[in-house]
Amino acid sequence: MSKRILCKFFAHGACLKGDNCEFSHDWKDPSNNICTFYQRGNCSYGSRCRYEHVKPSRPPPASSSALLPPGTYLSSERGLTSAPSASSPPPPAWTLDSLDDQANNNNNTGPTNPEDKPICSYAAAGDCPRGDQCPHIHGDLCPTCAKRCLHPFRPEEREEHKKACEKKHKQLEALKLSQDVECCVCLERVLSKPTPAERKFGLLTECDHAFCIGCIRNWRSSSPSTGMDVNSTLRACPICRKLSYFVVPSVIWFSDPEEKKEIMDNYRDKLRSIDCKHFNFGDGNCPFGTSCFYKHAFHDGRLEEVVLRHLDAEDGQTVIAKEIRLSDFLENMRI
Amino acid sequence: MICADLKVVRLILYLSWRDRLLCANSDMQQSRARLFKEYKEVQREKVADPDIQLVCDDTNIFKWTALIKGPSETPYEGGVFQLAFAVPEPYPLQPPQVRFLTKIFHPNVHFKTGEICLDILKNAWSPAWTLQSVCRAIIALMAHPEADSPLNCDSGNLLRSGDVRGFNSMARMYTRLAAMPKKG
Repeated sequence: MSKRILCKFFAHGACLKGDNCEFSHDWKDPSNNICTFYQRGNCSYGSRCRYEHVKPSRPPPASSSALLPPGTYLSSERGLTSAPSASSPPPPAWTLDSLDDQANNNNNTGPTNPEDKPICSYAAAGDCPRGDQCPHIHGDLCPTCAKRCLHPFRPEEREEHKKACEKKHKQLEALKLSQDVECCVCLERVLSKPTPAERKFGLLTECDHAFCIGCIRNWRSSSPSTGMDVNSTLRACPICRKLSYFVVPSVIWFSDPEEKKEIMDNYRDKLRSIDCKHFNFGDGNCPFGTSCFYKHAFHDGRLEEVVLRHLDAEDGQTVIAKEIRLSDFLENMRI
Repeated sequence: MICADLKVVRLILYLSWRDRLLCANSDMQQSRARLFKEYKEVQREKVADPDIQLVCDDTNIFKWTALIKGPSETPYEGGVFQLAFAVPEPYPLQPPQVRFLTKIFHPNVHFKTGEICLDILKNAWSPAWTLQSVCRAIIALMAHPEADSPLNCDSGNLLRSGDVRGFNSMARMYTRLAAMPKKG
């Protein structure tokens, strides 16, 4: 049965079990987003839980309940749970009668401010058995996930949910679209490669051709054979031969230029937070200089400031000088 | 159809046998995977491109032969030329070595060895090329000879001196002699 539920690791391109996974690796299957802790009655995240709080789809197998009409089952359940509820612990949320109890409590003594009332979690998860008669507020329909989970009186929460939901939806869509993208070097689908490390795209800055990160890096770092020009052959896109100076790894393939830019900016931001091992807090020397993607910071956290030195030649040409040492100059002199 | 399936099965069996035999390095495995993909692609595209017939060696996926038809409106029209491919282990990072097995009179093909002077087979190679697309490039080279970088000087000189008629008749003669089925 679990084979029909989408593996959440697979959805992120990171399931290590491959064919042996007990969950489905088929995009057509629905994903399961139900909080198992809530079903057992104790989710410590409460309303902040990122998983859906719904009651178990099937009541725990009790020999008598199957034969009795639902009302009797619930009242017997109530008999069990309502006794301790008088002292302190709240009754399990999934008995309908306890809903009534809570609703009554709210009406009598609870807060009257609608903002403080929680919305019906059944409706938020997709389906409330009580429909219009539900004593709880039913949230507004979220246009993205099509569930009644927008609190009508909490504008910030609404916005937050909408944004998170849209982002999640977009990412899943992008990942789905990326499944069919093939690498032009190995001719395989990038996201179907055997190891997770290989299931990444390598984006070139100047063109939009798809490669897997391994293939494009191999090609760019392969030793040039005789007569091969590094810039026009190896550094160029194998298909359109446009020159790109670096490759950006990404787990998803982009569908428009803005998305590509976002992926690239995220990557550069990430690298900029990592200390450069060549620069080594000022003790080393980074061959990439000002174009290095990594962080150039000294031991005290101060960032390196580079003032470029321009050398003007007689014929009007300007060269940017790298580090100049007197020893280099003396070495070249023949005395 | 059954024949093709049998061939695939044989190839798979051969590949697994070879895998066990050699402690395969990753380069070789990658190139073999890619060649196998190309093999399947060729089987599928056979009908789409009647000018090219690519065949893989039965026992070695790194050896291929191709039969290409001479392009129309050239002296090679009507001829069928055989090419031999030797694929290096780092393929597709390095180009395949291709040569003509059929004798051909062309400025960029060595008359004796069949070696081809084509930039994409040397310094302008790109891993996005496939054996099929290399065949297409060679057909294009046959239609547009590059007389300024000749491997066959006689043919190059004929073209460079402007003697197109002489070149055409020579090329047609060798096509008749070597690339067409003998009559009678």
